Amino acid sequence: MSNVAGKAYGMNVLTPLRWWTALWQKLIFWVVVKTFPYFLKGLLTLSLIHYARWTIINRWSFPRLDKSQPKEKLSYSYMLFESNFNGSWDQYIDSFSFAIPSGLDMFWRWNIKYPKSIPLHDFYNYIRFNQIESGHYYNAYPLAAANDVKTAQKLFTNLGTFQQNIANLNDEEFLQAYQQFLADNQHSLGSMGESPLMSASHELVQEHQHANIMMARAAGKQEA
Amino acid sequence: MNRPLDLYDIQGNICKGYGRFGFPKARYFFLEFHDYAGGRNFLQQLIPLITTAEPWTGRKQPDQSDKPAATTNIAFTYHGLCALGLPRRSLDGFPQEFKMGMKPRAAILGDNGPSSPQHWDPVWQGDTVHAWVSINGQTQETVEQRFADIEALMQSVQGSVSIRPGHKGPDGKMLPYQDASAVFENGKATPKEHFGFVDGIGNPYFEGCGNDPERLPGRGKLNRDGKWEPLATGEFILGHIDEAKEYPLAPEPHLLARNGTFMVYRKLHENVKTFNDYVDNMAKDFDGSRELLMAKFSGRWPDNGAPLVLAPDDKAKAELDQKMAELQKKAAEGDACAIGQLKALEEQWINFTYNDDKHGAKCPIGAHIRRTNTRGSLETEKGAFDRPGALVDRRRLMRRGLPYGGHDELTNDDSEQGIIFMCISASIERQFEFVQQQWVNYSNDFHLGNDRDVLIGANNGKLTDKHIVQVNPKEGKAPFFCTHMPRMVETRGGDYFFIPSITALDMIAQGIIDPT
Repeated sequence: MSNVAGKAYGMNVLTPLRWWTALWQKLIFWVVVKTFPYFLKGLLTLSLIHYARWTIINRWSFPRLDKSQPKEKLSYSYMLFESNFNGSWDQYIDSFSFAIPSGLDMFWRWNIKYPKSIPLHDFYNYIRFNQIESGHYYNAYPLAAANDVKTAQKLFTNLGTFQQNIANLNDEEFLQAYQQFLADNQHSLGSMGESPLMSASHELVQEHQHANIMMARAAGKQEA
Repeated sequence: MNRPLDLYDIQGNICKGYGRFGFPKARYFFLEFHDYAGGRNFLQQLIPLITTAEPWTGRKQPDQSDKPAATTNIAFTYHGLCALGLPRRSLDGFPQEFKMGMKPRAAILGDNGPSSPQHWDPVWQGDTVHAWVSINGQTQETVEQRFADIEALMQSVQGSVSIRPGHKGPDGKMLPYQDASAVFENGKATPKEHFGFVDGIGNPYFEGCGNDPERLPGRGKLNRDGKWEPLATGEFILGHIDEAKEYPLAPEPHLLARNGTFMVYRKLHENVKTFNDYVDNMAKDFDGSRELLMAKFSGRWPDNGAPLVLAPDDKAKAELDQKMAELQKKAAEGDACAIGQLKALEEQWINFTYNDDKHGAKCPIGAHIRRTNTRGSLETEKGAFDRPGALVDRRRLMRRGLPYGGHDELTNDDSEQGIIFMCISASIERQFEFVQQQWVNYSNDFHLGNDRDVLIGANNGKLTDKHIVQVNPKEGKAPFFCTHMPRMVETRGGDYFFIPSITALDMIAQGIIDPT
């Protein structure tokens, strides 16, 4: 099990809410997204967030693997919060709670026993209690955070355009164009590298995984 | 607002940077306790020497000064508190990173390569240090006198307490203590460190700290309307409400934690030759003076600490210097108007934001001071967060400490010089470790990928170890790339300490800490 893959942490939180407030909340989400997108500005500005999504699952609409699987009788509807972010659990919850406490309260306000996002430790405990650990978590670009991907895409597009525009330039014009290109893309030139260590516990896991691989290799050699 | 704290219960180094109060000399040494009773007996005798945060009225009028000739403060590692026999339940309540200590956190802190713990001074090798004692003095003699007094106290407890030796000194000799001193120029103490930067500007201002309220702008937390408020006491002192409207994580009972705090101690060696060579080499291609390039590393001009947002290029700096000189001259002649103007100008050293410098054309986004104190610049979309400084108000550090070693003619990489970096915060993990890991040695929050701080980052001289000096894209000039950045600063030791209040210290000394 690991919630960590490369530069990303995957978080799933499933919190109960009463079925009638679930309906009400769906309406609120819809209105907010359509009418007041500035509510989401904080989320978009928090650069450590790769992705965040809130889904309301009515108590009668939980998925089943097959029709033969009996329907569960649930007392509550649920809100599923899925997020991928760069950094450790604490760093994420801290930044979330510091930067957009009122936004978080808006999302979770009607959830059972939601304590509000400040004071922090009640919120910590609420998320921890309701978090579902990831059984498996795959990351196609372990060296990249969402910011790295976004800036790389921007740089790639701009470099393509630049390439098309330079064919007929003389040396001096090229130098000028190149300098302008660098200036225009100066915020897309960060170095790529490994993720900072998420925690001392994760360091242990990495050591163990490394040891496991070495042992498996040694065993393989012996067999050969 | 600004509720008074019991400054007589709080150790003085928490609220006062002694250097700023006329104590340019310091000695730090580390203790080991060999038995409970003797160790506690020593502490009881030491308490009368401990300096509290009580206000010194004489700061502005030296003649009536009630400042002591020397100060003394003490703090403990987790192992030290164990050695003094604190109950298990109290010990368990300390935060995890404090219990682990600094060495096992090396991977988080970027203490790798030449900064790895195996290269640290011998004092940090093997068993853990138990306590840190600091003496700050107005002169070297007063420091040494106080040191002798404490040595005598140790002798009186007959081997129950010893000093752990093993600090690498000036000639490679091992010393039982770490001396530190402000860098002197023409016989006068300066606020400079060995790379030549004015250091120690911009410490935070918190509620009840006892400092002059005039120091608040630029040091507190930034409001939506651009005004500054004191940070919550609990960001720096345990047992008080913090910025998240709760009490910081602390051990039981309350009296053990209240008015105490945590401190990080790091001996940071400065590779002065590497630094100078690198600056010389980069300056050859840089469009501006060598000083401007240095300022682009740190965010402040080396000679007087003026921030780049106030004087972004050589021309602006020359004008600023001239204006300062004129005002200083007039002020010295007693011109009240000039005195006021000078004060207002000096306030801009600390009271500024990066609101007019989104591109980093004045102060690069990766410059040292912009990384370590972001001042609301992470709110890249106005109004996105509840407060502009939401992401920095819980990451502030109270920096203490002084340079050590070094003489102008001797400073190469091998000579012993650097900074004894100490910082105080209510949470080492949330404040110091976060800043060190995410902002010094990583740049996702700045959209700069894995770039690191030029000055204190764990760089290794590779092409991708770089710093981008941004430009205004409308000016048609290219940004300047400082690549192949070497390791300018190496860690030579350190640990995490708990600074108890006077009450808690007395209770520890009496052996009556009881969380029941």
